[in-house]
Amino acid sequence: MGGGEGSLTARSAAADAAADLPPPARRGRRLLHADPATPALLGLPLAWLGVFFLVPIGIVAGYSLDALSIEPGPHALTLAGWRELVHEGVYLGLFWKSVQMSLLVSAVVVVLAYPLAYYLALSGTKRKYVLLLILIAPFLTSYLLRLLAWKVILGSQGVVNSFLFWTGLRDADHPLGQLLYSRFAVVLVLAYVWLPFVALPIFVSLESLDRRLLEAASDLGARRWQAFLQVTLPLSAPGVVAGFLFVFIPTVGEFVTPSLVGGTSGYMYGNQIVDLFGSGFPDWRTGAVLALFLLVVVAALTAVFARFLQFRQVTAG
Amino acid sequence: MDVALSAAGRRLLRALFVLVVLFLYAPILILLVFSFNDSQLPSFPLSGLTLDWYAEFFHDPELGDALETSAIVAALSSVGAVVLGTLASLALVRRRFVGKSAVSALLLSPLVIPYVVFGISLLLFFHAVGVERGVLTVVVGHIVISLPYTILVLVPRLEQIDVSLEEAAQDLGASRLRTFRSVTLPLIAPAIVAAFLIALTTSFDEYAVASFVVGDRATFPIYLYGALRFPSRLPEVIAVAVVVMLASLTVVVGAEIGRRVAERRLAA
Repeated sequence: MGGGEGSLTARSAAADAAADLPPPARRGRRLLHADPATPALLGLPLAWLGVFFLVPIGIVAGYSLDALSIEPGPHALTLAGWRELVHEGVYLGLFWKSVQMSLLVSAVVVVLAYPLAYYLALSGTKRKYVLLLILIAPFLTSYLLRLLAWKVILGSQGVVNSFLFWTGLRDADHPLGQLLYSRFAVVLVLAYVWLPFVALPIFVSLESLDRRLLEAASDLGARRWQAFLQVTLPLSAPGVVAGFLFVFIPTVGEFVTPSLVGGTSGYMYGNQIVDLFGSGFPDWRTGAVLALFLLVVVAALTAVFARFLQFRQVTAG
Repeated sequence: MDVALSAAGRRLLRALFVLVVLFLYAPILILLVFSFNDSQLPSFPLSGLTLDWYAEFFHDPELGDALETSAIVAALSSVGAVVLGTLASLALVRRRFVGKSAVSALLLSPLVIPYVVFGISLLLFFHAVGVERGVLTVVVGHIVISLPYTILVLVPRLEQIDVSLEEAAQDLGASRLRTFRSVTLPLIAPAIVAAFLIALTTSFDEYAVASFVVGDRATFPIYLYGALRFPSRLPEVIAVAVVVMLASLTVVVGAEIGRRVAERRLAA
């Protein structure tokens, strides 16, 4: 899914959410013993990830330490690249800007998606799965094409501006210039792209909420908003956190959307990494440092919040 | 009294839902409208109806090549991901072994790696081992990306299957392989199909990683990205977009309806 990293999680989560699966059958234990066949099953997948996932990351680490370099000749291991990252504020500044943009996107999207998920899960509407499908279907279409749609809409000769000229609301010599190629455009498009997806984990957590808890709260004299603040919201927090992270994590390293609609003011950390490996002034060492730094941050976030990311079904057992 | 929503609250949320759905679909509808607009520029006022843009893209050899390349990449990578994912899921669900949580963390880690980092890692890797970039390098990357998705689909399905069925087969003298072929495989077939479709669509739409390891033969997203940078090709790309989006929406809705029908039949 292009830069739509993680979108597939959306799909499987969508399938799970919509499937309304019965609880897993109780597992027998007889086949669950240590077994010589296990290496045969795991060998191929682990080898694949080892060679094409872990080793490549190791190579990036090598470049970041000058153990590998595009310049010929022997090299001493150095931390110069990492020192540069810390001392030259440019890259960290850009990283911070990307973090802020991602926080904004994630927050906007969660705040918008929560009431929608609440409506679907708790209003008692009979068509909740149909409505859920309507909500997430756009997420399952091409990421680049949804980006294209916004390019067409926001351009200086685009749908919004030409509509304003046409209706005389704005003079043709003075189009709204900040629509496209701006930080605003990046945030708008990313929020548009992620909104349907983020409703899913929130919906799942609200769906599993036991309504009797709300009835109990009501019987004990709580008003609806009190029950919401003290029962519903805390119980749906895992879904909210999961949704937030599912958006935040891929957005920090995003480069496709800013490169198409961001211009200079929407330039993000991911674009910097790409450019350092580009054809202009390649600097693989700095690029490798930036890439690895991003990876470390994302890995740390994932580790800290792993229990919210709903992979438990796989890791348990 | 409804404990979750007041009548007014319900109306408010329904209105919000409708607004958001309009917001989500409006850009797609706008593309649809402008794909028939008889003008180089997608802007108001609409200047007339035409099917030229559709005709143009049907006769665009570059687009045809890109679609073909993407079809090859998607087919190869999704078969690869499903095979690896099935093996891994069987081990995760049916076997006990030391370090299982570390193994499953590794298997799922491609879900969260920033694609820009993975793309560059693969690029440097192929550079280091001296492999020319091409169709197969994209396939390799897409298998890594799709693998965790296939596992997320297959593991819950495997967990639902009663182990005693497999035990019965083995008690009756079936070998492991025979048990898998005659008992497990038919039972997880729907999940395998789902995993395959997910891997297929992921690969078909994947731009970020492919942009680093693609060779001379552009995949469809690579072609699209290129075309997006040339305003003169915009109308044609809009027509392509409409066709692709309608096709994928149809597949999504169709798959969902199919799944429901199958489920209802199973339940009956």
